[in-house]
Amino acid sequence: MVQSAYLLEMNNISKEFPGVKALDNVTLKVRPGTVHALMGENGAGKSTLMKCLFGIYKPDGGEIKLNGKRVTLNSSKEALLHGISMIHQELHPVPFRNVMENIWLGRFPVKKIGPFPFVDEKKMASDTKKLFADLGMDLDPYEIVRNLSVSKVQSIEIAKAVSYQSKVIVMDEPTSSLTGNEVEQLFTIIHELKSRGVAIIYISHKMEEILRISDDVTIMRDGKLIGTWRAAELTTDLIISKMVGRDLTQRYPQRSNTPGDVLLKVEGLTSAFANSFRNVSFELRKGEILGVGGLVGAQRTELIEALFGLRSISAGKVYLHGKEVRIRSPREAKNHKMALLTEERRVTGIIPVLPVLENTVIANLAKYENRFFLLDERKRREDVSQSIEKLRVKTPSMKALIKNLSGGNQQKVLLARWLLTEPDILLLDEPTRGVDVGAKYEIYTIIADLAKQGKSIIMISSEMPELLGMSDRIMVMSNGQLSGVIDGAEATEEEIMRLATMHLG
Amino acid sequence: MRKLVASTLVAAMTLSVVGCSQSTGSQPASGGDGSSTAPAAQAPAASEGNPKIGVAIYKFDDTFMTGVRNAISKAAEGKAEVDIVDSQNAQPTQNDKVDLFINKKVSALAINPVDRTAAGVIIDKAKQANIPIVFFNREPMPEDMQKWDKVYYVGAKAEESGTISGQLLVDFWNSHPEADKNKDGVMQYVMLKGEPGHQDAELRTKFSVKAIEDAGIKVEKVAEDTAMWDRVKGQEKMAAFLAAAGDKIEAVLANNDDMALGAIEALKAAGYFTNGKYIPVVGVDATAPALKELEAGTLLGTVLNDANSQGRATLNIATALAKGETPSKEMIGFDITDGKYVWVPYKKITKENINDAK
Amino acid sequence: MNAITQKKIQSFVTQNAIYIVLVVLIAGIAIYDTNFLSITTLRDILLQSSTRAIIALGAAFVLITGGTDLSAGRVVGLTAVISASLLQDPNYPRRFFPDLPDLPLLVPILIAIAAGLLVGLINGIIVSRFSVPPFIATLGMMVIVYGVNSIYFDMEPNQSQPIGGLRQDFGQLGTGFIGPSGPYSIPYIVIIAIVVSILVWVVFNKTRLGKNMYAIGGNIQAATVSGINVGLNLIIIYAIAGGLYGLGGVLEAARTGGATNNYGNMYELDAIAACVVGGVSTSGGIGTVPGVLAGVLIFGVINYGLTFIGVNPYWQLIIKGLIIVAAVAFDIRKYLAKK
Repeated sequence: MVQSAYLLEMNNISKEFPGVKALDNVTLKVRPGTVHALMGENGAGKSTLMKCLFGIYKPDGGEIKLNGKRVTLNSSKEALLHGISMIHQELHPVPFRNVMENIWLGRFPVKKIGPFPFVDEKKMASDTKKLFADLGMDLDPYEIVRNLSVSKVQSIEIAKAVSYQSKVIVMDEPTSSLTGNEVEQLFTIIHELKSRGVAIIYISHKMEEILRISDDVTIMRDGKLIGTWRAAELTTDLIISKMVGRDLTQRYPQRSNTPGDVLLKVEGLTSAFANSFRNVSFELRKGEILGVGGLVGAQRTELIEALFGLRSISAGKVYLHGKEVRIRSPREAKNHKMALLTEERRVTGIIPVLPVLENTVIANLAKYENRFFLLDERKRREDVSQSIEKLRVKTPSMKALIKNLSGGNQQKVLLARWLLTEPDILLLDEPTRGVDVGAKYEIYTIIADLAKQGKSIIMISSEMPELLGMSDRIMVMSNGQLSGVIDGAEATEEEIMRLATMHLG
Repeated sequence: MRKLVASTLVAAMTLSVVGCSQSTGSQPASGGDGSSTAPAAQAPAASEGNPKIGVAIYKFDDTFMTGVRNAISKAAEGKAEVDIVDSQNAQPTQNDKVDLFINKKVSALAINPVDRTAAGVIIDKAKQANIPIVFFNREPMPEDMQKWDKVYYVGAKAEESGTISGQLLVDFWNSHPEADKNKDGVMQYVMLKGEPGHQDAELRTKFSVKAIEDAGIKVEKVAEDTAMWDRVKGQEKMAAFLAAAGDKIEAVLANNDDMALGAIEALKAAGYFTNGKYIPVVGVDATAPALKELEAGTLLGTVLNDANSQGRATLNIATALAKGETPSKEMIGFDITDGKYVWVPYKKITKENINDAK
Repeated sequence: MNAITQKKIQSFVTQNAIYIVLVVLIAGIAIYDTNFLSITTLRDILLQSSTRAIIALGAAFVLITGGTDLSAGRVVGLTAVISASLLQDPNYPRRFFPDLPDLPLLVPILIAIAAGLLVGLINGIIVSRFSVPPFIATLGMMVIVYGVNSIYFDMEPNQSQPIGGLRQDFGQLGTGFIGPSGPYSIPYIVIIAIVVSILVWVVFNKTRLGKNMYAIGGNIQAATVSGINVGLNLIIIYAIAGGLYGLGGVLEAARTGGATNNYGNMYELDAIAACVVGGVSTSGGIGTVPGVLAGVLIFGVINYGLTFIGVNPYWQLIIKGLIIVAAVAFDIRKYLAKK
């Protein structure tokens, strides 16, 4: 047999779920010693493809070849034994055990004392040290994992994969919770792996990263393969247009809103907790989109959740329509015609076990109640189906459980939930986080429309282009303080960054 | 398809359990000696002509009632087909079981009520279905007993057990002058009560003391507390009494044997029953562990609630009623009072007649 | 084509597991003893399941919010004793309140239900205002309610004697029926249970409270952010649950013609078991009225049917335990990720 040019081949993989063709004839070929980026919107089929690779799903058709030999993988354990491992986006180490135990979990080296097998700690420690030295990692095998940063934990996972002699390592959004420095460290490790002939399948939405580190790029859309290119041939715009299937000359919609009178005025707002936001004052106009920039930890979420009555304040005043108001609970905020789209959609937004219908109307039930305390079912359904239509929520029906929808569609349902309450002020916390590119644009359009209708919007975003592309004004926070408000049209990334780091250290 | 298989399995499992227990199913009561009666009761061929009797026990894990239950099964051999069920110490459950017996068209009911006041409703049900009914061990209210002529009761008079335990102490006091340790002519006693409010506990407490007083002996209550029929609690309470009153105590009365045995343990720990240090302890029930202590000489005496006779009398009346006969002394072997009541006497048990209780 | 049919059957079986178990059980018992299939049997099982259904529906309210209510059984005991003590025949020799005038039937019943409501209210306040986990809060209330009931039950002149001699009209509520005497009659208790079930169904599906209940159980944080007054809703829900246990207690007293402080002991576990078997999720947010009723009926059929065919009571316990575990293991497949 001729040595294959590819380390891993997934040929013509198909997978069907009831009513959905999740993978349609997808082919992925990975060369040894390369970084192969796998891209696509959420729901394009990337994770289904990976689940087929790890035996979590059984493909309906197609074949998987390793080094040119056909293999059948029935579980992630089998994949691991074949040299395929995965570094998940969210890491789940055993927190209260040390580094080496986490690496050798389930296969501790054993020495026998008499008839009794005991774990050979010494061997485990020396093996671990050797592993780290090879990979250029600086870690203490005896450190308790809980005390380590996310990037260190990730390094441990990578070391673990290498210890299994993995030839293919899948990394799912590996940089999503890393700082700039840590990303550089990760890339160094990736280069080391490449030089050892390991292939890395790199799943990420971050274009810059992809273009910098990957050798090949495979793009998927709607369960279909769009193609594989050399990274050098691609640009950000090209990738995006291939991912969404249309040219994205316009990443942000044209806005035609005109900010009016001051609607909300905040004076000296200070959190009840030390180290949180303090002495924040700003104004929000009718029909205005006010972006809120800053680094992670700048207390932006804390600020707007305090405005919404979810967190307590120790000082400061809030004026609505010129009148002072005190908002101590989300219920009061709602009564003042405010709405909040939280950052953690899964934790504080969706009610996973309930259908789209109930998730949409839950904040607005009083409206449907008649004088016998019964709900008007017809009206509820009418409103929900209108919302679904207006916001273009992709769901099989309003009876489908929200947890089965994609992130973008969940976000649209949550937006619909709040729009039904007819708010004047929308507080949006990272409204496009975890939302795929196509849905992002739709959400931007909705936000722009709302502003045009005269709604006032405060939008927290950690994505600079989003802030710049969507905001009438941008207020930047740094370490709990307001460090400046700049005009959206004139702002630059450099300016925002300068303000965001103003109060650090 | 696996799910379909699974659901079939659940069903099959249920049925197989039913199947397994079939042979013993009709005689759930039968433990040990009674098990041989099972086939006779279940197999239709063997029960040809034998009347069906539905028996509901207030609770299966009650030691005394298990004795009665076994006696009923044993007495039924060759005479009747008994279906014994557990009311799980809940009156609503018992009512449910009675409905079920009526649906199964039993010829007579033998009911050990969970709650004596609830017998009225059960009598109404039985009367409506015209199924005669015998209550046993827990006496329904007299007005309920008058509701219908086919209602009988078999049981012991709770006060009698109290009286007999008092008499045990009287016998000892009169024959052992040294029992009056402080020579004041007054019996200083402590009382270990069962569950407060329980009819047996109240009556035994009251009538045991009354029997001593009736014999012309003055009494002084040193302490009285409830030990909830429980051996461990009996031991704890007795230890507390001893700590408080010490050698002042001249006699120990317990509403049942378990508490008496607990008290004996506490007394042993305080140095009693060695080197001639003695204190009379009396209990009620004549349980097997109590008889052992009786033999060892630590327990002065106990009172036998005659489970065998209660079970036999109950079954005999129910069988007669099921056949449409009017029960008589000849038929059942016990006196019938007021045409409805059979009082099975308690027996005084001491070292001398210990074999009566074995 | 074949695969599709198979998938359809599979999905039908998983979606309706509870009802299938119920039918299989009945069929199994009927095969063993054909006498089991009769109108009297049906009527008996319905009758016996009625109070349990009312109590289980109360428990379902709390379970769906993601809580648990261990006080159910003891509340049943409390309200059974309260209603019985206030509804004794004036000529009964040992009345709880010897000089109590004849009250209109509804008054003592409402007092008893109000007592249940009050206990639930306190449960709700402890859970929502003091953030005590429901398991602990209601465990505490369970013990307290038993204590309170025992004190009441032990009052002069009753002194812990079983309360009997209930008034004719009250007894009638528990044992009376409409229609001709015999198997074709419909007991009042069954009618009450049906009415309660319908009302609870309406609350679950057609009212703000019901929707809020599902939302709170499904994701309490999301419910809070959505501006739902979670605390108030929880208090109302626990109170309604308490009221339903209260009604259950009244009916148990009426049905048996008496009451002691031990009534309702461990009913909370029966109720929770029925709910869980009926598809109510103990982690909250999921549960339906028909499911709960099916769960109650499964236990009704087991209790009645297995005794009917003469299964040893100890074996019955084992079967019950197996059914609880098997039914949930089976039902949970509905919510597991599809492979």
